[in-house]
Amino acid sequence: MALSSAIYNTLFKRTSTFALIIVGSAFFFERGFDLGCDTFFDSYNKGKQWKDIKGNYSQ
Amino acid sequence: MLKPCTVSGYFKSASQVVSNQLNVSGTVAVLPTRKPVQIPFQGNSALSLSRALPINANVSVSSGPAVSTQIRWAHTDINVPNFDDYRNPATKNPNKKSTDSEDSRKNFTYLVAGGLGASSAYAAKSVITQFVSSMSASADVLALAKIEIKLADIPEGKSVTFKWRGKPLFIRHRTPDEISTEQSVAVNNLRDPQHDNERVQNPEWLVVLGVCTHLGCVPIANSGDFGGYYCPCHGSHYDASGRIRKGPAPLNLEVPAYTFPTDDTLLVG
Repeated sequence: MALSSAIYNTLFKRTSTFALIIVGSAFFFERGFDLGCDTFFDSYNKGKQWKDIKGNYSQ
Repeated sequence: MLKPCTVSGYFKSASQVVSNQLNVSGTVAVLPTRKPVQIPFQGNSALSLSRALPINANVSVSSGPAVSTQIRWAHTDINVPNFDDYRNPATKNPNKKSTDSEDSRKNFTYLVAGGLGASSAYAAKSVITQFVSSMSASADVLALAKIEIKLADIPEGKSVTFKWRGKPLFIRHRTPDEISTEQSVAVNNLRDPQHDNERVQNPEWLVVLGVCTHLGCVPIANSGDFGGYYCPCHGSHYDASGRIRKGPAPLNLEVPAYTFPTDDTLLVG
């Protein structure tokens, strides 16, 4: 209970800190979302991309 | 004497009832006696309760601006539905203060709002980035790009590097000494024989691509044995006309197509 009160009073109570939280979390959300989408795309198209079949062609 | 209190006496004869002399003693019709059906009272709703009011009884009704007309019924027979499934678990216990869980409940609300804000900020940023990048020059336009250079910005004896079509472009303002040196080089001794006049339009200005003809490194200006360009990768020396003089490179530095639209500007491409 004390923890949630501390979080509310320091982070969410003021609009300024709340906006900062939104901007900061948007930064990390973007990174995580993009990485997750790329990982999903790579796993969905496993074996079709050049980086997967590169080893079949010796250089 | 006529007074208001005695006036009624003068109208009394008109107000008296006179019999019409009709014989009504004979029986005209026999109406069946009604037997009231006794239905046991079931006060399940406000309507049935209001129906149960004794209509003919002497019901006292008070009215006025300060008198409430609300009627309260004792609903001891109606079960209140259970809304526990829809209630916040933090406020279910009637023995606990709801202010104790106020901050955590607000935290949840603000987290939802903040998450929505963060994801919409991401979406807005993606849309704006896509839109702005659609306004920049596309690859086919960049492949035919021209570059215009103000020659007054380049002092004498200085070599300046520009980026042109993805490659470095060297523009060298040559000194009179360099011009006379390059003009007097014996062409027959060169690996890639080209006279200085074939390589420059205006002897003051040398325009070459900064890509070493050996393996494509970018040479360093104003260094090397011949005072022109020196490629650090494998030690190719170019002179101040961009010609290969020493080292592994087979050809002179490439001269792109360029013009001088005015005396003070150079247009490459």
